[in-house]
Amino acid sequence: MRKVKGFLLIGIIMSILFSSIIIAPALEMTAEEIINKRDDNEYIISIKAEAEMIIVSGGRKITKTMLILSDKRNALIEFTNPQDRGTKFLKRENDLWMFFPDAEEIIKISGHMLNQGMMGSDFSYQDIMESDKLTDLYDFKIIGEEEIDGHPCYVLEGVAREGVKVSYYRRVSWVDKERFIGLQEELYAQSGKLLKETKLNEAQEIEGRWIPVDSVMENKLRKDTYTGFKIVQIDFNPEIPEGTFTLQNLR
Amino acid sequence: MKKYFSIAILFIIFFLLGSISISAKVDIGGELAASLIGIIDNQGNIFAYPQESLDLELFLPTLNNTQTKFEIYLFNNPMSGGFDYLIKKLYLKHRFEKLHLTLGRQPISWSFGSMLNPVDFTLGSVIMDEETGSKYQNAIEAYYPINWNSSITAIAAFPNGFRNMKWGIRGRTMLEGYDLTLNYVREPEIDSMGTIIPANQRIGFTAKGDLGPLGVYGALGYYFKDNGDGDLAYLIGGDYSYFFEAGNKIYFQLEYLSMKKDNLSSILGPFFTGNLTNNLKENVGLILGMANYEIDEFSQINLMVISSLNDGSIIVMPGYRNQLSNNLSFNLSTAIYFGKEDTLFAPNVSEGAQQKPKGMIGIGLTYSF
Repeated sequence: MRKVKGFLLIGIIMSILFSSIIIAPALEMTAEEIINKRDDNEYIISIKAEAEMIIVSGGRKITKTMLILSDKRNALIEFTNPQDRGTKFLKRENDLWMFFPDAEEIIKISGHMLNQGMMGSDFSYQDIMESDKLTDLYDFKIIGEEEIDGHPCYVLEGVAREGVKVSYYRRVSWVDKERFIGLQEELYAQSGKLLKETKLNEAQEIEGRWIPVDSVMENKLRKDTYTGFKIVQIDFNPEIPEGTFTLQNLR
Repeated sequence: MKKYFSIAILFIIFFLLGSISISAKVDIGGELAASLIGIIDNQGNIFAYPQESLDLELFLPTLNNTQTKFEIYLFNNPMSGGFDYLIKKLYLKHRFEKLHLTLGRQPISWSFGSMLNPVDFTLGSVIMDEETGSKYQNAIEAYYPINWNSSITAIAAFPNGFRNMKWGIRGRTMLEGYDLTLNYVREPEIDSMGTIIPANQRIGFTAKGDLGPLGVYGALGYYFKDNGDGDLAYLIGGDYSYFFEAGNKIYFQLEYLSMKKDNLSSILGPFFTGNLTNNLKENVGLILGMANYEIDEFSQINLMVISSLNDGSIIVMPGYRNQLSNNLSFNLSTAIYFGKEDTLFAPNVSEGAQQKPKGMIGIGLTYSF
C-alpha cells in the first residue's frame, strides 16, 4: 500500500520523499525547473521496498508492515504484520483490487473508496494512485524562500491544472535547495481548507539518490493523529517479472 | 473418503516440507479469540456461554512454483460441550506457465463485493457465513489466466465424498471499468435418508463498477428445474462514502435481493429461514443495509439491517470494534429480531420450525499473532 513515490503508498509522501536529489543547486531556477528536477527524481522506473506505517491517534499507536513493488503505473502491496498478513492491494492504472487472504477472494474496490484512509492510516487509496508527474497535474510558482531545520528551501505553490483530476486542489511544497528533496508539504482542498501536511524526518543517500526514509503525514481535519511512514529497505529498478501486476498474481 | 483425501494431501505437504531448505523461512500465525455469547430466548430467559477459538496457519515458502497451505480452526462446540476443529486449508497449488492448479481443501469463494450472493459457488450469505466452513471444500481448481484481468476457473468439489462431485466454471473479465463474471454450477444428486434430491444447476452473472460517486453492483441467477421451468433471482446494490467536516467518514451499502422462497434457505441458511413455508409469497424480496461509521483510526461502529419486504420482519445488528493495540482488538456484536408470528425473521416460530431467539449479543477479544 504505500508506495514510494507517486506510485504507491505515499503518493504524497513520496512526492515529497522522492523528490529528490539533485546534485548541484541551481542558481536562478524557475518553479517548473525545480519541480521538474524533483519529478525527474521521483520518476523512478520501478522499486521494491519494505516499509512500515505507524498510525498514531491520541496515546495509541499501531504499526503495519508491508512489501511494496511498483513501476510507473502499477503497484502491488502486501501487508506482513500479523493482523493484516496476506492482505494485498493491486493498483492497475486507475483501478484498485483487494485480495482477502482468508477466503482467498479478489474484490474490485469501488471508486469512492479511493478517498478513504488505507487500512486506517491517513494515506488514502487515491494518494497511492496519483503516480503522474507533478508537473502534469499542477501549475507551480515560487512563492518564497524559507529555512526548515537549517535547510534553505524553495517554497512553491502548485494549483491543479484545469480538467485534471487530483486529490488535492492546491499544494505548497518546501523543496530543499541543496538536495532537491521535499522537506514539507501542505495539501489543500479547493475550498482552501488545509487537509493534510507531510514532513520529512530523515533522508538517506541510497544508490546516489537522496531518499526520504522517514516521514509523517498528518490529517489536519483530525486532532492528535498522524501516520508515519518508514522505508526499511529499498531497491531501485529491480527486475519485475512479467505478470506481476495482474489479478492472477494476487491469488 | 474425505479423511483419506486430507491424509493424502497432508502426506504430500510433509514430503515437500522435508525438501525445504533449513534456511527457508517457515512461520506460524493465526488468531486467538475469546468471547461471551448471550442469547435471549422467546420466553425472555437469558443464556450465556463462553466461546473460544484458535485459528492456526502455517506459512510455508513457495517451492518451485508450488505453494502449500495449511490452516486449522479449533473451537469449543457449544452443542457437544467439547472442542472441535475444522480444517480450513490443506492444499497444494502449482503455478504452471499457463495454468494454476490447486488440489486439496481450499476456500472457494466467488464473491464480487455484495453482502448476499445468489450466484456463489457455495451459496450462503457472505456476512452470515462466519465459521460455518461452507466455503472450505475438498476440491480441484484449475485457473487459466487469459490476460491481466480475465480468467477462466474450473472447479470440481467433493462436499459429500468423491461419489458426489459438484462442479462449476467461472469466467471473469473487465469491460469499461466493470468487473464482470459469468458462472455455472452443477450440484450432485443427493440421497438424503432414502429421499433423492435431484441434481440442480444454476447459471449466474455479476457486475461491479462505478456510477458517478456510487459503487454499483448486481447479480442475476437462473436456477434450473427438472420440469423445464426455472427460477430467476436477481440482486442490485450500491455503496457510498461520506466524509464529515472533521475527517470522519461513514460508509453505506444497500442491496435488494429477489428470489423464489424455495431457494432462500440456501442463501441465508436454515437458521434464518425457519418459517419459510408459512406466510411468505412465492417470491421473496429482501433488503439489506449496512452503515459503518469510523469514529477514529482505531474504532468504528456499524449497523446492519436485513428485512423481508413481504412480511416486514427484520433483523437489526449493531456492532462496535476497537483496535486496542497492534494485535489486539475488541468486538461487540448484537442481533435483535423483530416481526409478527410466523414471519421470516420473527423471534417466535411455528412448531417444528427452527427456534430463533429474540436477541443475541457477543462480546470478545481477538488476538492476532
